[in-house]
Amino acid sequence: MLKADPGFKKTLSPVEGAGKLSYCYQCSACVAECPAAHNFNDFNPREIVLASLIGVADYLTAKDSVIWQCTTCYKCYERCPQGTHPVEVINALKNISCAAGNGPEEVTSSRDNVLANGSLISPSEAIEKRRQELGLDKAPVAPAGELKKILE
Amino acid sequence: MAQNQEYTLFLGCMIPLRHPQIELASRKSLGALGITLKDAEGFTCCPEPWNFKGAGLESWLTVALRNLAVGEKKGRDMLVLCNGCYATLTEAAHLAACNGEAVKGAMDKLKSLKLSYSGKSSVRHVASVLQDIGVDGISGSVRRPLKGLKVAVHHGCHLLRPSEVMGFDDPFEPSVLEGLVESLGAEVVRYEGYTDCCGNATRDTEASLRIGSEKIAAMKKAGADCIAVVCPACFEQFDLGQVEMKRRLKVDHRLPAFHYCQLLAIAQGEDPESLGLDRHRIDVKPALVKIGK
Repeated sequence: MLKADPGFKKTLSPVEGAGKLSYCYQCSACVAECPAAHNFNDFNPREIVLASLIGVADYLTAKDSVIWQCTTCYKCYERCPQGTHPVEVINALKNISCAAGNGPEEVTSSRDNVLANGSLISPSEAIEKRRQELGLDKAPVAPAGELKKILE
Repeated sequence: MAQNQEYTLFLGCMIPLRHPQIELASRKSLGALGITLKDAEGFTCCPEPWNFKGAGLESWLTVALRNLAVGEKKGRDMLVLCNGCYATLTEAAHLAACNGEAVKGAMDKLKSLKLSYSGKSSVRHVASVLQDIGVDGISGSVRRPLKGLKVAVHHGCHLLRPSEVMGFDDPFEPSVLEGLVESLGAEVVRYEGYTDCCGNATRDTEASLRIGSEKIAAMKKAGADCIAVVCPACFEQFDLGQVEMKRRLKVDHRLPAFHYCQLLAIAQGEDPESLGLDRHRIDVKPALVKIGK
């Protein structure tokens, strides 16, 4: 049987506006235009907010959780009449999932790549050649060392 | 017409390192409008607001505030060509103004680099800068109007929402970007779901392609000859994405996609041949033919 954890909602980051889920009255305004809900039967922002509120959210922060299907379109943020910000609740769940080592590999490796190189995309000879053909200067080099200094 | 505006150019990652033809068209077209773009050293990835923000809010915020602090030191506002950069840097600046817990942690980390961000300089999306210049200012720079070209405008989510933070236009019935396209002499076609997401950021590849494909189908149904975007992630979904849609969904849309600045450059009289448009994965020729190029 699932055990409720009413304290769970307090672990959602307040800075993102994720801590306002107590105001949710389960109206489903967030669901109607949600592209992830249209494509995945088990993705429902209203249910995600409810599970987080009651504190039965382990399945949402587990590996390969459905929360990663959120497109971050922010329509739920705009449609919510209660200022609950479901997308930020989902972002907070993603943070909890990654901190527990359950984040998708492509997500954590993309973050690690930025921290190591300062850029999401590694420079290459091919792209420099294209830039040159277009008459553009070399691509700016990101000061990756500075990120290492402050985040490691 | 606003002139002699100076901005620090924040290029981000996707435009210089994957779609430099968008950078080229932006430099040329904005220059023609009297906007001076100052290049600057010291920036990193913004970082992008879907995966990185999901991986960890505080490190996302720290990297974003570092970029804002570097930009502020240059003494002018920053201009971005990408909705992802716009969303991250705008939200970070907004959170800094609210001074929450995560901001304090991030600001502390910046101290070791002798950096801080006070909120004096802000981040401007190119669409918003063009809005300031105005329809008349833009039309004034047009030498070859895009007459006969029907354009489906895709705003991209992060330009519009959350509207209380992004502040660009109405989150569900935006029209500013459409006005900017019309100022080039083109015809805008409204289509069903025009404010919907491109689908790029969803994890499941097929679902992502389905979302993008439905949107392109709606654009075509409305009679569009091409798509206009203001974000390289949306661009990639609608350009390279169509190749994948054909392969995996067996749908062959062939609807050319452009960054707004590419259309602006063409309308200003730049030779499309010189803009590197041959690097687009969906042939732009059918759209250029409509305007006699």
